[in-house]
Order: sequence, then structure tokens, then C-alpha cells
Amino acid sequence: MLRYGLRRAASMLVSLAVASVVIFCAIEVVPGDPAQYMLGLNASPDTVAALRAELGLDQQPVTRYMSWITGMLRGDFGISYTYRTPVAQMVADRLWISLPLALYALILSTAIAFPVGIMAAARRGSVVDMGVIGATQLGIAVPNFWFAMILVVIFAINLGWFSAGGFPGWEGGLLAGIKALTLPAIALALPQASILARVMRSALIDTLGEDFVRTARAKGLSRRQVLWRHALRNALIPVLTIIGLQFSFLLAGAIIIENVFYLPGLGRLVFQAIAARDLIVVESVVMLLVFAVILVTFLVDLAYAWVDPRLRGAR
Amino acid sequence: MSLLRVRGLTVAIHGTPILREVSLDVAPGRILGVIGESGSGKSMTALSVMRLLPSGAEVSGTVRLDGQVLTDFSERRMRAVRGAQVGMVFQEPMTALNPLQTIGDQVSETLRLHDGLSPRLARARAREVLDRVGLPDPEFPLGRYPHELSGGQRQRVVIAMAIARRPKLLIADEPTTALDVTTQAQILALIRRLVDEDGMGAILITHDLAVVSGVADDVAIMRAGEVVEAGPTAEVFAHMRHPYTRALFDASGHHPDRPPHEGDVPLLQVEGAVRRYPGRRLGLWGRAAPKVAVDGVSFNLRHGENLGLVGESGCGKSTLTRAILGLEPLQGGRIALDGAPIVAGAVSVAARARLQVVFQDPYGSFNPRHRVARLVTEPFHLLDRPPTGPARDIAVAEALEAVGLQASDARKHIHEFSGGQRQRIAIARALIIKPSLIVLDEAVSALDVQVRAQILDLLADLTERYRLSYLFISHDLHVVRRITDRVLVMKEGRIVEEGPTEAVFANPTHAYTRSLLAATPVLPTRAAG
Repeated sequence: MLRYGLRRAASMLVSLAVASVVIFCAIEVVPGDPAQYMLGLNASPDTVAALRAELGLDQQPVTRYMSWITGMLRGDFGISYTYRTPVAQMVADRLWISLPLALYALILSTAIAFPVGIMAAARRGSVVDMGVIGATQLGIAVPNFWFAMILVVIFAINLGWFSAGGFPGWEGGLLAGIKALTLPAIALALPQASILARVMRSALIDTLGEDFVRTARAKGLSRRQVLWRHALRNALIPVLTIIGLQFSFLLAGAIIIENVFYLPGLGRLVFQAIAARDLIVVESVVMLLVFAVILVTFLVDLAYAWVDPRLRGAR
Repeated sequence: MSLLRVRGLTVAIHGTPILREVSLDVAPGRILGVIGESGSGKSMTALSVMRLLPSGAEVSGTVRLDGQVLTDFSERRMRAVRGAQVGMVFQEPMTALNPLQTIGDQVSETLRLHDGLSPRLARARAREVLDRVGLPDPEFPLGRYPHELSGGQRQRVVIAMAIARRPKLLIADEPTTALDVTTQAQILALIRRLVDEDGMGAILITHDLAVVSGVADDVAIMRAGEVVEAGPTAEVFAHMRHPYTRALFDASGHHPDRPPHEGDVPLLQVEGAVRRYPGRRLGLWGRAAPKVAVDGVSFNLRHGENLGLVGESGCGKSTLTRAILGLEPLQGGRIALDGAPIVAGAVSVAARARLQVVFQDPYGSFNPRHRVARLVTEPFHLLDRPPTGPARDIAVAEALEAVGLQASDARKHIHEFSGGQRQRIAIARALIIKPSLIVLDEAVSALDVQVRAQILDLLADLTERYRLSYLFISHDLHVVRRITDRVLVMKEGRIVEEGPTEAVFANPTHAYTRSLLAATPVLPTRAAG
């Protein structure tokens, strides 16, 4: 188990190093000079050159890559071209919204999907199952911003239970923060829960058809006991894969929902930074997201090994 | 006095009749062998006793176990019977165990479920039961996972689960079909011993007459959902009153007519073939010693000869086969077909066209979306100028007729054919480009005995008509004995014995060949008349 974990960790570090090079190169080939952009079209070449020197843009790519990487390792992400503030601080502020939002949505999605998927698989072909198939189809087909708008209309405008948008900050108390994130989290979670419920259902149905389920029934276990004691854990591998993918998606992919609810999250930050050619911010946020995705993949790998003893000894 | 008494058991699933008026008796301490071909209803009979039939089943008739009428039991009462009074063992040991639970947990679950034992006590009892089925303590701790065990060992765990509560009845559904002959002999001996020790009754379901004749006290022969003949084993086999019993028996021992092989021109030459796999990784840089799957194998296959290759699973015969087909690189030695070298990834089209293969599974080896005409003509891409238009149709018709099908079958899809017919189509596909050598990789292993006899006849007939050579790979020694001229016995990557088939079978010289032959169940010699 330890060896498996170390091996996964080593491969995670290699992925990170490769990703950093790819991101750096991609940003290099993007057209448009940040210095030129910041100073406007009428700036004199001398001024632009001076600014480039100040930003360190005149150095060799290798030098700039090294200082970018070593900076990040120290927690120094550089200074934003446009805002003139440390990128680390900006990203940290946004992360305090995006990370809780993603976790909140993931917990909701899992909490909905598990019971629904299990119920549908246990009563395959029944009215309940048909209902789940129909509802999840709808949940996948309808875009999340539409859910967001409906939620706002019902719970914010008509019932007045939640505010329609904005974020009071965590200084206002944990509860107020969670309350502000509830509608966005639900809007994000519904499509994800639909996907996850379907994966759970089909994985469980496959598992219930396995030979060892028949063996367990021949021991005298009831259908329900077989499902909980034998089938569920065997059905978890594909479900864990999807949960891992969903977390990565929720962290960076919430941009539309952030816009609907006026939440200053990571997605909006990247969007604004790209529009403003604030490449150092883009670079840092993308690197951070890559780190998050790779970390989640690593955790999912560990979870696989926890679920499946066959993986512990392997590779 | 019978322990299990089945009377007039009739089952239909979604209106399709599965069992018709089945009546069976099992006495304590005796084994009833239930024999039949696929679809004869033998597994469904077992599942009816367990009341584990698929949904949509309508059942009539009675099943009595020790005086209790199981057919009247509620699902709740039935759960107290399953695992406690009736234990069941299934065919496929590789998938019959939960891969995520230790064997200790899986065996003790039966005990905890029925006796409400504490986890500690249940584990102690599980230990005793595993010892009893031949998985003793230091080598097989309770914490082992199924994937750490071989097929035969897993089957022992399944048997331990079934007998943990000392049930009155043990049902074993094809318990040895997926196992090698020596393992099969051990498992059958184990079942016999447990039946004798505990005085339980047992039902042994199998398609193999030889297996039943060796171990069962009584037999019941099933066909199309009916029991056609039943009685004490010796009596049934001595008289064979029902024609179906006789047909089954004849097919099991069927010997196709083949002229002896003559000539000494080598077709396939294998010289010192070595195939090594890198060892398992240890730590970051280290590796275990490489695994040698094929270890310096040499032999010749002559023009027109049928050569058998036998050995147990893991002996390297599949690897060797893949190397001969040019699908596996060698680390040493060479393989040549009529002088043309066969090197993985670089087999010439001409050589490939002379070498065709038929695999074991007649269900998995065809693309279900294509029609037979297209499936059969797949090897045409190996020809310089493949026939087109009417010539192509004629070639397809010829190939299909050669294997006993009709030209009009070319327009059908593969799902319209039975397993035996599919295997004929697979042979037609191999035959259509007139190869010199056909590799038959367990090609009749999945077939019922009567169909198998027909396919063996077909193969014998085709050798003569098309001057074909076969490399016949099988774990079934009976079949190899009946269809080959010479035989190679393979063990741990080496050929340990080689010679004319009859001589090897009659006077095996190597200890391994002798143990294989000793483990192989034998058909009883048939009484005259």
C-alpha cells in the first residue's frame, strides 16, 4: 500500500513538472505583449522597453521559467500586470470562495446521487427506476445556469430565503457564507448529481449480475444484504473516477454560475485576466488548477487502492 | 429414504418452458450426477431447488428436503435454508468470490449469518473449515484475497463456504469444468470425501460422462428439460436403456475415421523458441527474475500431419501458439513455415495466408454486425488477387458447404447460428484461402459432446480433402488422443514428452504425462449390446 502510494506520488510530481513546462510554453506563444497592452497603443517604444525590463519580460525564457517556478515554490506568484498587487493574494482570496463552493457542490451531488442511484439499481425496471432515468436525463440536458436562474426566481425573489447573489465574505460568519453559496452549489450540483446517479446505477446493476453476487445469495443473504455487503463496494471504482473528474470541473468550471450569482471566484478571475492580457495571473491560476486536478487524481488513486486490494500490490 | 425428493418440477421463464416434469431423488451420503448438454435444464433444476431462479419464472411441482416442502416456503424461510441446509458450488471459481473481501470474511459470513456467531468465533470456525477443504493454516491465512489464489484453490474456498454449516445437501454445478485435469481430480476427490464424512447428499451437475462415472453413485440424464433416464450409475451405464444415453455415450468416446499420416516433409519448424517476460517491478529500479513462458521449445510439424499440444493452464502453450501465429516476439530460437521465417510484426502476407487459426469461443470471435459472407471472406485481404463478384460468391458457397452449411447461410448474421454452427463458420473462415496449417486453439472445448463429435468428424474429413495440417492445442487429453497423429506434452515452458499419440497415451514415459493421464476421468467401457 505504501509502495503504491509512493509510486503514485512520484508520478504526480512528474505530471506537475511536465504541466508547468507546457503551461509556460503555451503562454510564451500567445500573441500580444503584456507591456504594450498595459501602456496602450500610443506608448513610445522606449517606455514599452522600460516596462518590459521592469516586468522581467526581456530575459531569456529559461531564466523566466526558473524564476517563475522557484517563486511559486516560495509562495511568490509574481505581481499582476494590471492590478499591480501580488498574484498570490488575489488567487488566495478567490480560492476561499471557489474551493468551498466546489466542495459544497460535490458533497451535495454525492449525497443526492448515491441514494438515488442505489435505489434505482435495487429496483431495476420499476416505476422508481424509470423516474430516476427520466429525471437524471433532464438533469444532464438542462444547463446549470438555467437551474441557477430558476432557483433565484423561486428561493431568492419569491420566497426571499436567500439573496440573489454576491458574497458577504467569511468575516460575516460561517453560516452567512454557506447560505450565500447554497443556491450556486445546488445549481452546480444538479447536473453533476444526475451524471453520478446514472453511473452509480449502471455500475451497481453490472455488479449485481456478477457471479459472486449469486454465490452470496446461495449463502442465504437477502437481495438487500447482498447489495450493501458485496455489490456496493465493487461498484465504487467507476463512481470514484467520476467524482474525481467532477471536483476538478467544479473548481474551475463554475465560471458561468459565478457570473450568475456575482461571486468573485477563480473562474471569473481567469476570465478577466485573459481579457486583460494579465498573463502572469493566467499562468499562476492555470498552474494552480493543474495542481488541484493532479492532487485530486492522486487522492482518487489512493481511494481505488483502499477499495480494491488487487491494486495495492500492483505497480 | 431420500433426502431430496423432486417431483413433477415444471418451470417456465416468461412463458418459455425450461423444465418438464422433472423428478429426482438424492439419498444421504450419495452423489447424484446430473448429466446433460447445454440448455438441457440441469442448472435450472439446481436453481429451482435453491429457489434462485431468474425473475419471470413460473414453477409447479414439489421440492422436498428432509420432509420440508421447499416449494411452499416464503423467501424469508428459504433464506434460512440456503447456505445452512443446502450449500451450492458454481462453475467459475475465478468470478464466484467477491474480489474485495478476504477469504476468511467470506467463509465466516455464512456462519455469522445463520448461527449469529461473534466475528471472532466465526473466524475460528472459518479456519477449521478452510483446513478441512485443504487450505491449511500457515500457507492460507484468513486474510488472503481471492486474487492471490489459483483457480483450484478458489474453488476450495467456494466449497468451504458451501459446507461451512454442514448442510444436508450440496449442489455442485459444473464445479470442475473450468479447471485443469489434475485440479479437477483433486476437487472431485474432495467433494467425495466431504460427502462421505458428513453423510450429506450431493448433486453433481456436469456435461462430462467420464467425470460422473468416476464419482457419482446415481445418475440422471437430462435432455431438453426432461429427465430421460435415471438410476444407479453402474446400472445406467451398463444398460443404457434410453437411446439418448447411448448417443451421448457414443459421442463422448467418438473416434473419427482418419487414415494414418504418411510422409516426412516438415511444414512448421520451431527451433529453440524462447519467450521471456520481464519480471515484476521491485522498488523503483529493481526487477524480479524474468518469467520464462516458453523455454527452448523445438519441434517439427509435417505436411498433412495432425499434431497435438497438451498441458495445463500456465504451461506456456498459449504463448507458444501466439508466437507461431506471429503475435508474440521471441527472445531466442526461430519459427519457420515452409522455410519462411515467422517473426512477430514482420510476417509476410504469403506466410500468413498459409496459416489460419480457430479459437475456443464461438460466441466472441465474430463481429456481430457483419453477415456470414463478409465474416468468412475476412482472410481474402491476404491474397494478391482476391476473387470478386461471382467468383467470390462461389468461394463463399464452397467454404460453407465444405463445413456442412448451406450457401444461402452467407446472407445471415452470426446470432442466427448455434455454437456448433458458429465453430463451423470459424473453420470455413480459416479454410477459404486454402491454408496449409490450421491452428485449433481449444477449438472444441466449449462444445457439447455430440456437436464436438461432429466437428471432430468434419476436421478429420477436411484433412484428407484439403491436405491440411492441424496444430491441435487442448487441455482435453481424450480429444487429442482421437484426432492427432503425434502429441507434445508441455510443462513449465518445456516439451517434456513427444511421440506418436497412441504410443504416448499407452506407454507414457515422463512422470508428468503419467500424472495427467491418471487424473483424466475415464469413460466406463460399455457393456456389450
